[in-house]
Amino acid sequence: MTVDTPRGMRGQPLAVTGLNKSYGSHDVLRDLNLRVEAGEFVCIVGPSGAGKTTLLRCLSGLMPASSGAVRYGDAVVASPQRDIAVVFQDYRGSLMPWMTVRENVAFPLQGAGVRKAERRERADRSLAAVGLPDVGGKYPWQLSGGMQQRVAIARGLAYDAPVLLMDEPFGSVDAQARFELEDLVLDLRRRLGISIIVVTHDIDEAVYLGDRVVVLGGKPATVVDTVDVDLGAERDQIATRALPRFAALRTRVLTEIRGGRPAAAAARNPITSAV
Amino acid sequence: MGSTSLRSGFLVKAAKQLWLPVVLIVALFALTAGSTNFYFPPFSQMLSAMGNGLAHGELLSDLWFSLKNILAGMILATVVGVLLGLVIGERPTLRAATAPLLDFARATPTIAFVPVIILTLGIHAAPKIFLIFLGCVWPILLNTISGVESINPAVLETARSYRIPWWLRLRRVVMFGALPQIFAGIRVALSVAVVLMVVSEIYGSPIGLGNFILQSGSNFAVADTWGGTILIGILGYVLSVVLLIFESALLGWYHQRAPRRTAPRSRTTTNQTIQNEVTPA
Repeated sequence: MTVDTPRGMRGQPLAVTGLNKSYGSHDVLRDLNLRVEAGEFVCIVGPSGAGKTTLLRCLSGLMPASSGAVRYGDAVVASPQRDIAVVFQDYRGSLMPWMTVRENVAFPLQGAGVRKAERRERADRSLAAVGLPDVGGKYPWQLSGGMQQRVAIARGLAYDAPVLLMDEPFGSVDAQARFELEDLVLDLRRRLGISIIVVTHDIDEAVYLGDRVVVLGGKPATVVDTVDVDLGAERDQIATRALPRFAALRTRVLTEIRGGRPAAAAARNPITSAV
Repeated sequence: MGSTSLRSGFLVKAAKQLWLPVVLIVALFALTAGSTNFYFPPFSQMLSAMGNGLAHGELLSDLWFSLKNILAGMILATVVGVLLGLVIGERPTLRAATAPLLDFARATPTIAFVPVIILTLGIHAAPKIFLIFLGCVWPILLNTISGVESINPAVLETARSYRIPWWLRLRRVVMFGALPQIFAGIRVALSVAVVLMVVSEIYGSPIGLGNFILQSGSNFAVADTWGGTILIGILGYVLSVVLLIFESALLGWYHQRAPRRTAPRSRTTTNQTIQNEVTPA
């Protein structure tokens, strides 16, 4: 793997066709269609409880579809795939406290049969790529929340999958760390040419990160809109967020999440405020 | 941050824990020194009986016999209990199917098996090891199962999403996730093991610490009986300390301690504060 050298797009498109998902008699997703091209950065937003995490679990193969299909290239995704890495929201739970940071990052490679010396090398390279070159020998619980989430991202990178799925990845870190992590992920996508799909409830974050923002809505949820984010490839925390175009995009997404009501009207009702 | 402050901290802690036992032992020496009671000889006599027995008599071979049985039974019980517990704990169907059986086994006092086991297996070491195994395997097995059940689902989900093969998951994820509970089970098992060791040697055995206190008691060598009893206490205590050492080596991550091989604590301020905010998993 080549964390440090740029390369072209990798992998295959991830396509969801007619996806339905129910838990017992409770329908969560209905007739959901979505296509993510290789190398694309897509953010999935929606009100809480809309089924965002359920969709991500279907995309990752952790959960089977009730009907319809998720395809990666030609293959049906019915179980976790070698080409798809997942970064979970709960980094405290998903990093194993009995392993050092390096062991955590290298662990999926051990499962894939990579030899020890190479595992170590790839783990160290991935940790360097997320800006944590010196913490390999520490334990995750010795690091801050933001750093732990970086380790979780490094684990996804070391796995060297062309698709990275992230479930509310920055939801439990503080605001400053959050900005840094957002820029880190953008930078990784640029350098590695991987596709990244981020599920988030934060509309500003979705617009800032994505090439496209997919808005989920309704009960059961489906795609209510797909917004192309024409802010260019380079994003900047201050300049990009200050653009009138940024404000227009976030207003559009916010309006859709609130079921078509204008943002100003909805703002008077704090209970339904999504952010 | 010097090792001196660490070491003096350790000494203070040791002093806080040790003063009471020291006071009690001194009091025992002092209060029993002039004892003429046949059944309660002076403490010093009990200890010298124990020392003599270890140095010249057969007490040492008794101790060795007992120790071997305890270790063999415990190790066997740990291996079987942990392996079975990991396999059963991972599968809800197996858990459900075995639950009534395991509850029954746990509720049956192992001591009740002593006559049957001696009747069928004889009076040598093997039946005693088997008895200790039989008593120890249940707490370890049950604790391992509930330890596996209590693993954070996010951990297992992660292992699944990264396609960790089952044997690696069992060895590096499930076992470690259940380890705090496994140790709780082993601690319970150890006290059971000491009891069963003594009982198994009192009932039909030519050798062992249990036999030693039984024989010396029958011969009215009261100081010897006391010495053997104290030795059994010491054996149990030493074994539990050894277990504690194992535990702190393997569960350092659980107690949120910095591992011993950690290099410098020199990046102090940031790391220290970060450590403080961490909550147990």
